[in-house]
Amino acid sequence: MREENTTGLWQAVLGEIELSVSRGSFVTWFKNTSLLRYKDGVLVVGVGTVFVKNQLERKFNQLIIDTLAKNGIVPEKVEYKIHAANSKLHKKSNDEPIMVSPKAVTKSQPAASSQVRHSYRQGLNERYTFENFIVGSGNELAYAACQAIAAEPGKKYNPLFLYGGVGIGKTHLIQAVGNAVLAKDPNAHVVYISSEQFVQEFLDAIRYKKNTDFAGYYRSADVLIVDDMQFIAGKEKTQEEFFHTFNALHQANKQIIISSDKPPKDIPTLEERLRSRFNWGMSIDMQIPDFETRCAIVQTKATTHGITLEPSVVDYLANHVQTNIRELEGALNQLLAFCEMRGLQPDLPIATGLLGAAKSRPKHVNPKHIVERTAKHFRVSLDDLLGPKRDKDIVVPRQVAMYMLRSELHLSFPKIARELGRKDHTTAIHSVEKIEKEAALDADIRSAISEIKERLYA
Amino acid sequence: MKLQVTQENLAKALNNVARVANTRGTLPILANVMLKTVGTRLTIAATNLDIAITHYIGSKVGEEGSITVPARLMQDFVTSLPSGVIELKLDDYKLHITTDQYNSTINGVSAEEFPVMPAISEGKSWTVPVKDLKQALQQVLVAAGTDESRPVLTGVYLHSNDGKLYIASTDSYRLAEKEFMTTKEDIQLLIPASALQDLLRLLSDQDDSVEITHDDQQVLFKVGEVELVTRLIEGSYPDYRKLIPTSFASEATLSKSDFVNITKVSSLFARESAGSITIHLDAEQKQVSIKSIASQLGENTASATADVVADGSITLNSRFLLDALGTLSADKVQIRFNGKLEPCVLQELGGDDYTHVIMPLKS
Repeated sequence: MREENTTGLWQAVLGEIELSVSRGSFVTWFKNTSLLRYKDGVLVVGVGTVFVKNQLERKFNQLIIDTLAKNGIVPEKVEYKIHAANSKLHKKSNDEPIMVSPKAVTKSQPAASSQVRHSYRQGLNERYTFENFIVGSGNELAYAACQAIAAEPGKKYNPLFLYGGVGIGKTHLIQAVGNAVLAKDPNAHVVYISSEQFVQEFLDAIRYKKNTDFAGYYRSADVLIVDDMQFIAGKEKTQEEFFHTFNALHQANKQIIISSDKPPKDIPTLEERLRSRFNWGMSIDMQIPDFETRCAIVQTKATTHGITLEPSVVDYLANHVQTNIRELEGALNQLLAFCEMRGLQPDLPIATGLLGAAKSRPKHVNPKHIVERTAKHFRVSLDDLLGPKRDKDIVVPRQVAMYMLRSELHLSFPKIARELGRKDHTTAIHSVEKIEKEAALDADIRSAISEIKERLYA
Repeated sequence: MKLQVTQENLAKALNNVARVANTRGTLPILANVMLKTVGTRLTIAATNLDIAITHYIGSKVGEEGSITVPARLMQDFVTSLPSGVIELKLDDYKLHITTDQYNSTINGVSAEEFPVMPAISEGKSWTVPVKDLKQALQQVLVAAGTDESRPVLTGVYLHSNDGKLYIASTDSYRLAEKEFMTTKEDIQLLIPASALQDLLRLLSDQDDSVEITHDDQQVLFKVGEVELVTRLIEGSYPDYRKLIPTSFASEATLSKSDFVNITKVSSLFARESAGSITIHLDAEQKQVSIKSIASQLGENTASATADVVADGSITLNSRFLLDALGTLSADKVQIRFNGKLEPCVLQELGGDDYTHVIMPLKS
């Protein structure tokens, strides 16, 4: 009998046995067994421990023989053999050093070896720096805060909480802080981790009873950067552990930087004490970059590939992807790769042919769409929005709708007024100006606008 | 099954055995203890499939038989009974337990369901004085590893060399070795430290010697009326001997209680630095001083008079040092090392049968 057959056969036998014994018995006695060989009528089963051997020999021998018979194998004899590969303590290679110095973890004991320093870099991508981050109106505040933090970690804006939609540069910015801190002080203990990883490591720490190592590692950080904090929602024990880590670091004036796709108040099932702490330092929302910033991004990225793009192509790309820098880069890379393979110079016809017609004003976005979307977002009825009511909770959505018509479709003011059932175009002028002003000051309005936009173009 | 035992014997046996029974495993029956008559004796046994403990007690057997019952309940119940004679009677799978005042029934599960207890039919056998084994275990178990990814280090290495028996353990940060008797056997056993922790609890001063029997897969310890069987760890133990230095650049001898005190005090200031404390041997001042710094809290220097042979300083983890000092029983202890990066050796003054080695922290 050949090797591959034996594995398949034994799997089949185990499959049948699993159905006829209890779950606990199967896991304990059968799970880690294998068929070692079947030769000259003697079938040898490999088992992990002497307990399993005894049990199979005395209690399950008949069951195994019967099941084998059903699968067409009738050995003269079944033997059980303790086999290292079946043991969970399967021997590993012993090339590890016998004894090593334990790692010291604080600044007063800076570890000299570069290997240790390297471990602090884990998770940080050296590509993300401040130098290649493009600043625009949507992210200048976040950028300034991060630069201030990199200059003096722990002194200003602690904790820093960055939030915003997908692919607008949160990760780039917070990693840039980590890289800048490390560039200044290579011995700084910078820990970058996603909250999901934090959860996983915490679970492992519990499982292997290494809680103190776990807590020690994070609490010894000089800069703790946690990406995608929203994934911690609903994981109570992890939140508690994070809470303690947070307090320990904050008390020691160590910098904490957190990113999330929502502001703390909108993360469901986030514990109140964490929520209040996240709001303690500075919360900044990062916005979808405007058209000019997107153009700058496309140009810079193209330059790093050694290619200068025609302005029309840059415009086209910046218009093609409006809400997500990652997609914007993807589109650019697609274009560059296509041209490189064929030895072409990227121009507008190629870009259009490759990526599809310009999306700057997608066909399905018409004034009616915008008005409906806005009404839906604020949960007011379309009739109210278009009607004469002047309650505050209807006026604001109406003004936002006018603003959206102006900013997205560039309609004239009289036309905007008509779309919303107003007679006077000055109402529209006033509304658009008011929302423009408020959006600069009020994060709620800003996030409402970007959400409506995302929905519109989704 | 029908028999009579004394409450004292049964309670003692259950206390020894029931600890092994595990209620959280995948196999529910492992939470039970097995009661079984063997000739005129009653055996009480439990296993977690890594180790198995069997306790024999004398009894007046009326009818033979066997049953398994939940370990915790049985243990808690029997230990709360008044001393005196207990009658056990099996009726189908119900175990009736009767004394003068109590009359209870515990629902059991057939002993047929219980894993077969491993037996060592053939293998070498030798004996070790209980007192010596107990002391040796207390001294080396502290250094055994717990990291399951390096299974070899979770074991304690019992081995013979040049007619002497040694027992050693290391978690790769520290190492303990005890030479504890002469032997003619050739022994190389790697025994799980957790099993030896259990064995340590079973060793009572009333017994004189432990009988050890082993084959390739497992080892059996027999002490008094109790038997403990554990599997052996596969793999070869690292050649740790070459790590123990034999000559030293720095050396001091001081009172153990002084050393423990200054280490304890210093460790208070070493909490945020993973227990890091720096030890200075000063021949001129005739003292050993320990310095620890907590950047936020403050710092501390504690010193004790000592007989310093040669100067030096080394940074250690205070917890490892306290663990090590805890295993030394003499009044005077010796600390010796070669520079900041080499292992540090602690021994009792005048006793070189026990060696404790700690790797320094990098500073």
